[in-house]
Amino acid sequence: MMEITLSHYLILSTILFAIGLVGVLKRTNLLMLFFATEILLNAVNIGFAAISRYYGDLTGQMFAFFVIAIAASEVAVGLGLLIIWFKRSGDIDLTSMTSMKG
Amino acid sequence: MLDNILTILIFFPALAAMLGFVVEKGSIRAFGVSVATVEFVLSLALWYAYDPSVVGMQFMESMPLIPAFGINYLLGIDAISLFIIVLATFITLIGIATLGEVKNIKNMIITLLFLEMTMIGVFSALDAIVFYVFWELSLVPMLYLIGAWGGPKRIYASIKFFLYTFTGSLIMLVGMLFMAYFYYQATGAWSFSILEWYRLVLPENLQLWLFVAFFMGFAIKVPMFPFHTWLPYAHGQAPTIGSVILAAILLKMGTYAFVRFSLPMFPDAAVFFMIPIAIIAIIMIIYTAMVAYAQEDIKQVVAYSSVSHMGVIILGTFALNVEGITGSVFLMIAHGVVSGALFFLVGVIYDRRHTKMMSEFGGLAHVMPRYATIFGVMMMASVGLPLTINFIGEFLSLLGFYKQSHILTLLAGTAIIVGAIYMLTAYKKAFFGEVTNEKNKNLPDVNKREMFALIPLVIITIWLGIYPKPVLEPINNSVEAIVSLMNEKAITQEAKNRIPDPMAAKVSTPHGGTH
Amino acid sequence: MEFYLYLALFSPLVGSLVAGLFGARPKTLLTGLFTSTLLFTALVSSTILLVHILDGGDIIHVELMTWMATGDLYIPFGFVVDQVSVVMMMVVTLVSTVVHIYSIGYMDHDKGFNRFFSYLSAFVFSMMILVMSDNFAGLFIGWEGVGLCSWLLIGFWYHKESATWAANEAFIMNRIADLAMLIGMFLIYWTTGSLQYDIAFAEFAHVDVETLTTIGIFLFIGAMGKSAQFPLHTWLADAMEGPTPVSALIHAATMVTAGVYLVVRANPLYDLIPDVGYFIASLGAFVAMFAASMALVNRDMKRIIAYSTLSQLGYMFVAAGLGAYWVALFHLMAHAFFKALLFLGAGNVMHAMDDELDPFKMGGLKKHMKWTWIMMTLASVALAGIYPLAGFFSKDLILEVAFVEHHYILYAVLLITAMMTAFYSFRLISLIFHGTERHKQHGFHPHETYTFVLIAMSPLAILALVAGFLFKGSYIEMVTTLLPATEYHIHSPIVFWIMTIGTQLLVGLSIAYAYRKYEHAKIDKKIEDNFFYKLLINQWYIPHFYEEYITKPYRELSMIAWKQVDLKIVDASVDGIANIFYKTGEATHNMQDGNLSTMLRWMVAGTAVLLILAVAFTTGYLMLLLAFIVGYLYVNRLRREYVR
Repeated sequence: MMEITLSHYLILSTILFAIGLVGVLKRTNLLMLFFATEILLNAVNIGFAAISRYYGDLTGQMFAFFVIAIAASEVAVGLGLLIIWFKRSGDIDLTSMTSMKG
Repeated sequence: MLDNILTILIFFPALAAMLGFVVEKGSIRAFGVSVATVEFVLSLALWYAYDPSVVGMQFMESMPLIPAFGINYLLGIDAISLFIIVLATFITLIGIATLGEVKNIKNMIITLLFLEMTMIGVFSALDAIVFYVFWELSLVPMLYLIGAWGGPKRIYASIKFFLYTFTGSLIMLVGMLFMAYFYYQATGAWSFSILEWYRLVLPENLQLWLFVAFFMGFAIKVPMFPFHTWLPYAHGQAPTIGSVILAAILLKMGTYAFVRFSLPMFPDAAVFFMIPIAIIAIIMIIYTAMVAYAQEDIKQVVAYSSVSHMGVIILGTFALNVEGITGSVFLMIAHGVVSGALFFLVGVIYDRRHTKMMSEFGGLAHVMPRYATIFGVMMMASVGLPLTINFIGEFLSLLGFYKQSHILTLLAGTAIIVGAIYMLTAYKKAFFGEVTNEKNKNLPDVNKREMFALIPLVIITIWLGIYPKPVLEPINNSVEAIVSLMNEKAITQEAKNRIPDPMAAKVSTPHGGTH
Repeated sequence: MEFYLYLALFSPLVGSLVAGLFGARPKTLLTGLFTSTLLFTALVSSTILLVHILDGGDIIHVELMTWMATGDLYIPFGFVVDQVSVVMMMVVTLVSTVVHIYSIGYMDHDKGFNRFFSYLSAFVFSMMILVMSDNFAGLFIGWEGVGLCSWLLIGFWYHKESATWAANEAFIMNRIADLAMLIGMFLIYWTTGSLQYDIAFAEFAHVDVETLTTIGIFLFIGAMGKSAQFPLHTWLADAMEGPTPVSALIHAATMVTAGVYLVVRANPLYDLIPDVGYFIASLGAFVAMFAASMALVNRDMKRIIAYSTLSQLGYMFVAAGLGAYWVALFHLMAHAFFKALLFLGAGNVMHAMDDELDPFKMGGLKKHMKWTWIMMTLASVALAGIYPLAGFFSKDLILEVAFVEHHYILYAVLLITAMMTAFYSFRLISLIFHGTERHKQHGFHPHETYTFVLIAMSPLAILALVAGFLFKGSYIEMVTTLLPATEYHIHSPIVFWIMTIGTQLLVGLSIAYAYRKYEHAKIDKKIEDNFFYKLLINQWYIPHFYEEYITKPYRELSMIAWKQVDLKIVDASVDGIANIFYKTGEATHNMQDGNLSTMLRWMVAGTAVLLILAVAFTTGYLMLLLAFIVGYLYVNRLRREYVR
């Protein structure tokens, strides 16, 4: 069995980030976009936690908590908006939301 | 009061313009004329109080603006700026006094007064940032003049004018910032004072770069070939008063800035770029004269002739000797008077016929003899007939440059030929022959209001042509100071040779002839 | 004496200004009388000055005020009355006084009567400045001033297309020469440090010949314009569009001689550069013959006289070029008298014939216009150089100069020209005054002009008669104190007599031949088809050449400069640059399609590019290149996908 090093965490973090990124880019359902954002944030969290552990500095982990808190509030506000939007238009597809067209 | 006369000169019209918003519409004309008159009298007082024997700046005022970066509200004038200021107040006065029936006259007068502020600001600022601020501010009223009272293509013309000159100015601003930065590196203190910058001796390659940066801003303003194409549009679309001020004063900002910035700050670069710039100047002279000859619209003839004359001014400036620079500064004044008058004259016929096409005229000398006479006088001044104001300037400019290059002066001298060609042809088309167009048969001659603008200009044209001394002598003294500063600062031997020390010549030989 | 100097100088100006005030008003006889009186005042003042100088009085040199002073340059309004300028002043004031009085009659019915006198007096003022100035810049004021007045007066009848065209041609052609003159002045200034005659001439002794030659050439080109020498000659014949008194004063007696005056005035310069002098003489001889050839066949009375003027100017330049400055000046003076007379006579004929100019439509006028006939014949005899009229003393002297200086070719050319001169002059006289009265067929009713006009002309007639033998002695004595006093004597008396009598005989024969040939005014069809005839009547095709190869190309080039270069290249590239920004915006604004995922993708693309760049900068430029390529491909793909 090989030992799990920092690199492994970072690679995991990168893979998760990539998955999240692709999700953000490819999905058109707003709800799925939220999930993808969560994955992105968590990918970063893993990175924070791992590096924090590696340097023995708690600041990173503290930041991870911040991120979790922000992610939670974001979902809270975001989902609220989403529901209002759904009530208005009956649809949460991204492609139909182009009123900010340039 | 004289201690702050420059500040008063600058801000009096602006404050009056603010007040103008609450003035009743019926009395706005009287209000504008009285403000402009007061301003003109103030500028005359400035001239009266100016001491031509003093070398250096006079009526200096200083007030810190951003002390950390050495930006001060620094004003002061020498003879070079003095006469352009007097010209600016004078042209504004007669411009406002002779305004015809225009819509929104209130806004126009307020705009003109703001414009007056920016013009005087430019010519009296001695701090680069203050200079820059007024330089850019002057675009706004002009933009408004063209955009609001212009011809059918006014939006295109005004935006072109604004963006073009603005782009050039930005490059100049970068140059200024770098100059200040270099000053900081050299002395450990920030300063944007032009006078401080004068004292700085810059390495040659730095001079070249900075010269180019400043050149872009000035050249577009002048406008020098090939940056001149905004001018015909601006003139073509601007109302008469706009054209007059543009030609008489605003273009002079560029040439003035060459004398104020480029020459004393970068003497070696000036020598380095002398020949290329002279060639551009010659292209301006000949090429735009040819273009002027091809025009069908009389206002465009005058517009292109402006560019052609600016070429002579540039050439004189880069003669880099006292004769040439004095001539070019004098020619700035002369051109202001003469081309201003020509644009007034074009406006006179435009008011009557609402067209500027020469093919529509013909035989005007029969129906409007006084108009034809005044136009004739101004035309002859424009082609540089001796005993008119233009001749002095052109003669000295060319004489000065002859020292630098014989063959280029010969080419530039064709100005007097090609100038005669387009002017006489235009005059012939418009004024000579029989009256063929029915609409021209009963045109009224120049009326009293127009006479009020034209007669003073005619008088100045001839008076300064015969007796230029009151203007020429102070200019000469200021220019001598600049040239000797340049001679002192020049690093390369080439530059030392090209820029003669005016003081040295005075001591050694009575005639000072060198060959 | 200074008072008289200022009086002579400024009275024409006062006259001009006062007449100018009435310029736009209908005719007031007063302006004519007033200007004439002032001109007469100037004449009297000049005479007083002449007497003063003749008595051996000092040269009068005044400085009115500073004109231009900057750097080392100092140009005052300075005036000098010396032996040379006083001669010119006499010529100018005398001829112009006569012409002024004459014009009161000639312009009697013209609408622009007042305007005319204003211009005419302004011309005299400019001419006075030209001859009296003590420096080159002052001379140039007058030089351009007479150019302006000539423009005004040629185009006096501005409703006529031909007149205004001729006026512009004259002005522009003179401007070409004036440029050379300016350049000459610049060179003088930078060489000697001054434009004052006395200082500059004194300094020339220390200047190398090359520079002097350049100066000499440029000044002479200036002179060529005013004196209408080849190739700047075409304006003079066209200038005949102006009123006839103008032709007499400006385009015969005074302005066109300004070039000769300049060369005479700059004699210290031309003495140092004999090569240029020889060139001047050769050109002069060429022009003398060239112009005479065109006069042989022309059918326009005024043009014939104009060509004759041109030809005589050539004579003057021969003399001046060969260093015989006083001879040139003498011929200038004599020529002014009889040529002005000739023109004024032609003016009388024109009035009588309702402005008809073709002498073939006249004939037999001596019956109707006896005095005009006498005066014009007198002038023509003088022009032909028959003893003892003025022309003999001045023109034959030039022949002698050429002979004595051993320029035999010049001599031969001038001799032939003298015969041609006699021929065309009497061809004209014969056609106008003798033979049958052809004018009756054309319905003209000729009549003699006003008596006062004839009286006004009489001083010129008398001078044409006596100026030669009466004045020559004292003239030489006076002028040679300032100009090189070379005597031109043919040593062998036999040669002298052969030459003198031979010349007289040849000239006489030409006159007789002209009389015989043209008494009946037959137009020989065969000659008209002749190649040479065509060449001559078309003025050697030179105006045609100028029109085809200079004027037209210039016009076309101007059109190209405007339509093609200025609008399509210079302005278009400016607009092009502006358009790049505009078009980029147009093309990419679709990117902002409002779709969140599109925007996210762009954001990711941008981040990726930035990341790659950051990596590349730290690892090397090869990677940078790679990054660019990758980034470009990616962005391009995105663009294709989303920008529709």
